[in-house]
Amino acid sequence: MTKWAMVADLRRCVGCQTCTAACKHANATAPGVQWRRVLDMEIGQFPDVRRVFVPVGCMHCDDPPCVSVCPSTATRKREDGIVTIDYDICIGCAYCFQACPYQARYKVSKPTFAYGDDNATENERVRFKAEMMNVAQKCTFCVERIDEGTAKGLTPGVDPEATPACVNSCIAGALHFGDLDDPNSNVSRLLEENESFRMHEELGTGPNIHYLWDKRS
Amino acid sequence: MSGVTQFEGVPPWLQRNWDIRAAGNFVGGGTGTGFLLVASLAGFKLGLVWPLALIGLAFVGAGLLCVWLEIGRPWRALNVFFHPQTSWMTREAMVSMPLFAIGLAAAWFNSPSLLLAAAVVGLGFLYCQGRILKASRGIPAWREETIVPLIMATGIAEGAGLFLALASLMPGALPAWAMPLFILVLAARFLLWRTYVARLARGGAPKKASAALRKAHPLIFWGGHVVPTVLLALALALPPAVAPGLAVVAGLMGLAGGWYMKIVIILRAAFNQGFAVSFAPTRGAGTPAGGAAPGWD
Amino acid sequence: MTAAAKVRKVPTYCYQCVAGPDLLTVKVVDGVATEVEPNFEAADIHPAAGKVCVKAFGLVQKTYNPNRVLTPMKRTNPRKGKDEDPGFVPISWDEALDTIAAKLNAIKASGNVLDESGFPRVAASFGGGGTPQSYLGTFPAFLAAWKVIDFSFGSGQGVKCYHSEHLYGELWHRAFTVCPDTPHTKYVVSFGANIEASGGVCGVYRHAEARARGVTRIQVEPHLSVTAGCSAEWVPIKPKTDAAFLFAMMNVMLHERPRQDLDLNFLKHHTASGYLVAPNGFYLRDPESRKPLVWDTIRGAAVPFDMPGIEPALEGAFVASGIEVGADDDAWEHTSTTVSPGFAQFLDHLRPYTPEWAESVCEVPATTIRRIANDYLDHAEVGATVEVDGRVLPYRPVAITLGKTVSNGWGGYECCWARTMIACLVGGLEVPGGTLGTTVRLNRSGFARLSSVRPGADGFMDYPMNATDAEHWKSSPTTRNGYRMLVPLAANTAWSQALGPTHLAWMFVKNPPKGWPQHSLPDVWFIYRTNPAISFWDTPQVSDAMTKFPFVVAFAYTHDETNHMADILLPDATDLESTQLIRVGGTKFIEQFWDYHGFALRQPVAGVRGDARDFSWIATELAERTGLLEPYNAAINRGGAGIPLNGEGWDFRLDETAKHSVEDVWDAVCRAASAEITEGESTEGLDWYKEHGYRVAPFPRLEWYLFPRLVDSGLRFEMPYQERLWRIGVELGRRLHERDIHWWDNQLSEYQAMPKWKDFPGLWEKAVVKAGGKTEDFPFWLLTARSMQYAWGGNVGVQMIREVAENVAGHRGVIINAATAEKLGIEEGDLVEVGSTLRSVSGKAVLRHGIRPDTLLMIGQFGHWATPLAKNFDTPSMNSLTPMDLDLTDATGSGADVVRVFLRKVRR
Repeated sequence: MTKWAMVADLRRCVGCQTCTAACKHANATAPGVQWRRVLDMEIGQFPDVRRVFVPVGCMHCDDPPCVSVCPSTATRKREDGIVTIDYDICIGCAYCFQACPYQARYKVSKPTFAYGDDNATENERVRFKAEMMNVAQKCTFCVERIDEGTAKGLTPGVDPEATPACVNSCIAGALHFGDLDDPNSNVSRLLEENESFRMHEELGTGPNIHYLWDKRS
Repeated sequence: MSGVTQFEGVPPWLQRNWDIRAAGNFVGGGTGTGFLLVASLAGFKLGLVWPLALIGLAFVGAGLLCVWLEIGRPWRALNVFFHPQTSWMTREAMVSMPLFAIGLAAAWFNSPSLLLAAAVVGLGFLYCQGRILKASRGIPAWREETIVPLIMATGIAEGAGLFLALASLMPGALPAWAMPLFILVLAARFLLWRTYVARLARGGAPKKASAALRKAHPLIFWGGHVVPTVLLALALALPPAVAPGLAVVAGLMGLAGGWYMKIVIILRAAFNQGFAVSFAPTRGAGTPAGGAAPGWD
Repeated sequence: MTAAAKVRKVPTYCYQCVAGPDLLTVKVVDGVATEVEPNFEAADIHPAAGKVCVKAFGLVQKTYNPNRVLTPMKRTNPRKGKDEDPGFVPISWDEALDTIAAKLNAIKASGNVLDESGFPRVAASFGGGGTPQSYLGTFPAFLAAWKVIDFSFGSGQGVKCYHSEHLYGELWHRAFTVCPDTPHTKYVVSFGANIEASGGVCGVYRHAEARARGVTRIQVEPHLSVTAGCSAEWVPIKPKTDAAFLFAMMNVMLHERPRQDLDLNFLKHHTASGYLVAPNGFYLRDPESRKPLVWDTIRGAAVPFDMPGIEPALEGAFVASGIEVGADDDAWEHTSTTVSPGFAQFLDHLRPYTPEWAESVCEVPATTIRRIANDYLDHAEVGATVEVDGRVLPYRPVAITLGKTVSNGWGGYECCWARTMIACLVGGLEVPGGTLGTTVRLNRSGFARLSSVRPGADGFMDYPMNATDAEHWKSSPTTRNGYRMLVPLAANTAWSQALGPTHLAWMFVKNPPKGWPQHSLPDVWFIYRTNPAISFWDTPQVSDAMTKFPFVVAFAYTHDETNHMADILLPDATDLESTQLIRVGGTKFIEQFWDYHGFALRQPVAGVRGDARDFSWIATELAERTGLLEPYNAAINRGGAGIPLNGEGWDFRLDETAKHSVEDVWDAVCRAASAEITEGESTEGLDWYKEHGYRVAPFPRLEWYLFPRLVDSGLRFEMPYQERLWRIGVELGRRLHERDIHWWDNQLSEYQAMPKWKDFPGLWEKAVVKAGGKTEDFPFWLLTARSMQYAWGGNVGVQMIREVAENVAGHRGVIINAATAEKLGIEEGDLVEVGSTLRSVSGKAVLRHGIRPDTLLMIGQFGHWATPLAKNFDTPSMNSLTPMDLDLTDATGSGADVVRVFLRKVRR
């Protein structure tokens, strides 16, 4: 079996938003929609303050609340763990938005473009997808890249062509992607060697972005 | 940018994906099914079933219409039936089918028994609504366990209030048990509301969600419970000539209190989870530190 | 996208910021650029595994931005001003170029490229850090053909750069900028160097790798920048007191630690620490050779510094004889006079600067300063060695870096000197693990740093100072900022003009001071990739000065605040639309240390929009229309397009009499590049680079370090005693006073053999009083910080950049300490007013804990009022609040991004 997961090394992340931008390119998301983004968090009070940059997005949970609430079955979980949305089935009820504790989902209710909604630029016209209007959308782990890449015998997380765009783009080497079911994969090794946590783990969703925060002693 | 879901930052922010139309579904569904329940109890005595059935169904129907107006792809609305295995929204939609079928049949045949059957199905519908909220794991104020009995209690209270108000306007239509029953359901609703608020305040919700509930509490407490209860007590104690007037006001206040409570829950306390980290990472040779959940106590 | 869509990936580069270039590919679908990706093929040859910065992802939107200027335009409203509509109307390229050529030809016809004031009649201003060079095509060759250009109208230089570091850095260790040897260092103290925001992908990647290795980086700065967030420790310090911290670090190392903990061998043999200082403050010299003398402890005598087999004394007082040579060859003969080594003087000089003293200045606990000084020394591993490319070098894994506002303006000299000297104390200057220079810009050659090491006097590297002797000193300015007259350290190479006091060109438009020629404005001013109306200090004053320029030619991407005053707008083909080959690799700022060097091509990936034209086409047309085709082609042949077109065994020079197409020019450049990088073996041209994107060859890592080259050249670092600077300072003072010029006297005070602490923050407080204010009415320090998403990019009109930048705190308003805000009743998002003695701006409050309570922060440079999209940002900028003031100008001609302000909530 395969279980795709992401590892974000908080020790490395600098909050530059290159992954955010790369995601926007790869997925042609509308202005304001960021399937991947990096939070700029502060912990503590002056002068004892930490600043932490936290990449977030769909966590492709083991027990995805969005899947169980979805009335149309548009949101599904694949065997490899990726949570997908079928834009042709989704009714845009936004129930999944309420179910997701990671604020990972977006809805665009009308064509929205960078320089005015009546003013799509050439690149926006080429990439506009009408099927994504008024339905739920979110990070797909760049599922097309994974599927096309694995079909060519490439390894997601290793070969750029088969790897999510955000991971490819990360300039700090903070984002990693791979197969958790493979004990020798990059992500398995990183989790083995380092201390990690998952966000809102107490909610029992089984999120699949793992955050590294220290070496394992 | 209008037209795009807004992302507001790190601490929890108020969900804006469901607006007053979604609240309308909970208002309509609760009041309608609650009304069917109370009305069905009275139906045998009254013999006049069809208006009761239609009033109840109208509320439920209006609620569903609200939701239909809110969804992004209304012409795909039938896809809502695709996921009965786990989705309480599918189940709500499915239950609405027999609810309308039996309710309309009750109206058509003017049958108290069918009305009772519809009311029982309506209870199921109401339960689905509670579960819809509870399954919303991204909204702490909804996923709280007591939301289900609270939604059911307020639905029944709203229905009872509406029934009380309507029946009080029609001489002789008000069963004797109606006012005590209303006091009872108000009491139950209040207890559940208090439990609900208290549980959220004990770390179950973001600070702003609890604050929104706290802010709404006086009006819900006094306007939605204490005053209608006092009015009903007066109505029971005072001469029958003034009782109907007091009962109408008490019923409507109980009804409005429920609606307000749901609007507060759906629109004002519905802060999402926000983001949190369990640890601040080491940076080079630095040391790690504890985490934080901004917006939470 | 249909299945039949034609998709290709085109390699190119991005050089929107000084930390470039990044090598990338652009996905093109049916002739439309859609996606940027790293050029994955470059992963193995690039210091950051071939990654691409966030700014590069803005290029697709930059290309298709509907707000672009896409035809040449001319102004129809002769009145210029912020509130005047320029009335731009489209014109043909012929009309635009003929209009410009007519102006230039009129200058030629006048027979004098200088005006009555002696200033060039043609001026040009380009954006920060030389980034436009990678987009200018062959335009530099056109400027070279014209010969005399005034580049001194600054767009931010001095106040927005590491100015003192540039000048002193190049003097001391060929370091236009300075960085740690990040891949090998273990302990870094960074005074406000915001590397995670300004270091580009190489900076970010290398430091992330260093963190993974366990580096200790201490970030000392008033606010918790992105870099502080990524550091092991953040030490909040009072603005502009960094020199005190650094002096105290030296005090600990010199006066609290055993001398043996220092790298005494390095100090003795690789610095001027042993040079004997005579009574008048200049070196004691051998009367015949005029070489500085040292006290040889073996012979017990004063001997020339370069005598073999000596062991110079570092401490003590000695009786010796010799001559002392001061300014203007003043000489004193000394017989048996008491002298002491520079290092001994240095010890005395630093004695008062204890950590306890520094605490009172910096508001940082003495224990913290002491701990950091000791940790630095403990991590230095004095005595350790490492082998690099087969050569054994000292290994000193400690470094200090300085950021903007620390390394420029008053106090910049002190900080740069202290930083360089702290490195010397442990032998950590220009060795593996230590503090390194990146590149040179004031010395030649700009792309081969080590080749700039030429022997000069006294065992030091030569430095091309502007003359201060009576015979050669430029007694009046040759350009409008007078860099050759006022700033000896600015040198006189291609970058020097822009590294003079560029604000003088703006300030002296009104009221030029005594001894300055009648200020004149250039007949023609070219501007490209720069927006000084936004990016300079006191931007309203700069904007006002611009209204008076008679003829301004702006290469325009969109309408903006500077080209609002232009007469002609020329739409150049932008980043993804035009052709250029640049050098890559080797070593370069900010943290570009490659194991390869070579060339990369920028090429049109998906055609050109509208009537935009390749910059090289524009340059060629202008050359032809001004009768300069031959010198223009000759300049290209010499290297005006970045590479000389002939070399040993190859010759791709262009026919100088003919007009060449853009493709032909760059094909020749590509062939010359191929030949150069393969030493003549290969001569592939433009088509090859279009397909492959870049070509590199190995670059020896040994060339990352200056130390071995210095040793091989028999040279040493000019530390700690600044005899040469002291001398030229005296000379410069004499020259100026001979002309009765006294308005530069404050600046002269910077020329000290060893700098003393001055109340640097107090200068900004005094400026408040001078402007008629009371210091207590302006209780906050207002600072800025770079935004990685924007810095240098000229990309404020790109929506996606704004969108992603807003994820980083501060892009939506003014950062205020949360506790301070609470005291003032200010809540997150409240509208606040921030004002200096000049004027005020308003913006939303952004409450953060990571900033000193007395400090405010405005990230980046916004405040646009003309640039489409950006004019709606409502994000305030400090630039309009910062006064241009000679009192706030240091000897190198730089100021700093600091100003005292008030803060109040706007009640609506």
